[in-house]
Amino acid sequence: MAIPSVLRIAVLASNAAEQDRLATLVGQCGHQIVEPAASPDAVLTDGAAAATLPAPTVAIGAVDGAFAGLLPPDAAATAVDAALRAVAAGLIVRAPTQPVRSFEWLPDEPPVLLTPREIEVLTPLGNGLTNKQAARLLGISPHTVKFHIESLFRKLGVASRAEAVARGMHQQIVEF
Amino acid sequence: MPDTAKNPLIELSEALAERAGLARPLVVGIAVPGHRMRSGALWRKDVVVASEQRYPDVSDARVILADGNAFTARVAGRDPGTNVVALRLDGSPDPLPLSASEPRPGALALAFGADEGGISARLGVVHSVGPAWHSRAGGRIDRRIMLDIAVTPREEGGPVLDAGGGLLGISTLGPRGRVLVIPASTVEAVLEPLISKGRVDRGWLGLALQPVLVPDAVQSEAGQSRGLMIMRVAKDSPAARAKLHAGDILVTIAGESVTSAAMLARHLEPDSVGKPLELRLIRADKPLSVQVTVGVRQAS
Repeated sequence: MAIPSVLRIAVLASNAAEQDRLATLVGQCGHQIVEPAASPDAVLTDGAAAATLPAPTVAIGAVDGAFAGLLPPDAAATAVDAALRAVAAGLIVRAPTQPVRSFEWLPDEPPVLLTPREIEVLTPLGNGLTNKQAARLLGISPHTVKFHIESLFRKLGVASRAEAVARGMHQQIVEF
Repeated sequence: MPDTAKNPLIELSEALAERAGLARPLVVGIAVPGHRMRSGALWRKDVVVASEQRYPDVSDARVILADGNAFTARVAGRDPGTNVVALRLDGSPDPLPLSASEPRPGALALAFGADEGGISARLGVVHSVGPAWHSRAGGRIDRRIMLDIAVTPREEGGPVLDAGGGLLGISTLGPRGRVLVIPASTVEAVLEPLISKGRVDRGWLGLALQPVLVPDAVQSEAGQSRGLMIMRVAKDSPAARAKLHAGDILVTIAGESVTSAAMLARHLEPDSVGKPLELRLIRADKPLSVQVTVGVRQAS
């Protein structure tokens, strides 16, 4: 089924001011606002409690996971438009910048500890530099870079540079 | 069967409903204009506590008790360190103190939240109980109590009772959907500063650190094989004033070895603020001692 270029959108907000704000966003996207009962293509909400949602829903600034689309509170009209189209097509939308970190403990000591040089080598590796380029950047010989990369592969139990970067960068930094 | 025979299921059920009755005066709904409903606990007369994470940046709220009575409330203070936000209201009843027994893994627990016109209840067991721990935001939490109870964002922050009807603390959504309890003693400890100052000050150095293996060549100088490498130094921070640099490896604080973030956090409790700390570092393969004056951590 093709998605029409102008969608029929219902707006469900928790108060009049939010209702206006969301309706303005829908207008900026060039979509048509309809009543929830008029079988909309998608719903835009601020997370206001609704017993039943008549169509796939994009929630702005909500944290509950029961919506097809979740956007940050300051989402721009272009993002809202893309999200409404995606959920109308049956997809799930999550914004990558959304803070997903929950209240958590400080990380324990990692099972694998890297040396300062190994950590240093990871950055140019992540930027796609060759051993020679990394060596020049760090002021060490390409042979030494190779030595540290082999040690990283062994410690992290990985077989590729990309994997080493993904695992190595995962080591957590704390701020105090 | 004669009616006089005791049915243990009905007894259990009635005992649980009775605990819910004990919790009822404590459970509050918190309505923040423009935001979804959330839950909290009436901690003492005119003081409500709730979960701080994702609490909107709005001072005014409406607190609704399970009996339908509503009060205007305002945020008195927030502590991301222990995930407690305190609200003041005027004229609330004084809830009965419910002191909890020591939590044990496997013991029954009930988590409560606010629901339209009343309370919601969830039953499960205490999944595990660990020693004191530090949150990423630096707060010390007296016990690591995890529940095998699922709690929604709406119910988070409501009271958790033990089988005897004692108040274990307030529920908190932890990593990967796990549910933690912020123990009553931890809530008590932060409540006074939250109400009088609006915040809980904790120590701050201005460092981003990562655990590292001390290079072989300097392990004997360092006296240990592990340390915390400085990745960044914040501008105008105590660490910057003490001329610490990225690349320095922190090995001891006040003579005690620090090899994990939690060990560091123990030196930066609220009473550390303004006091000097002796740091021992490895810089360019040489040991170095530096004194820093601990600053105040800002909520991030």
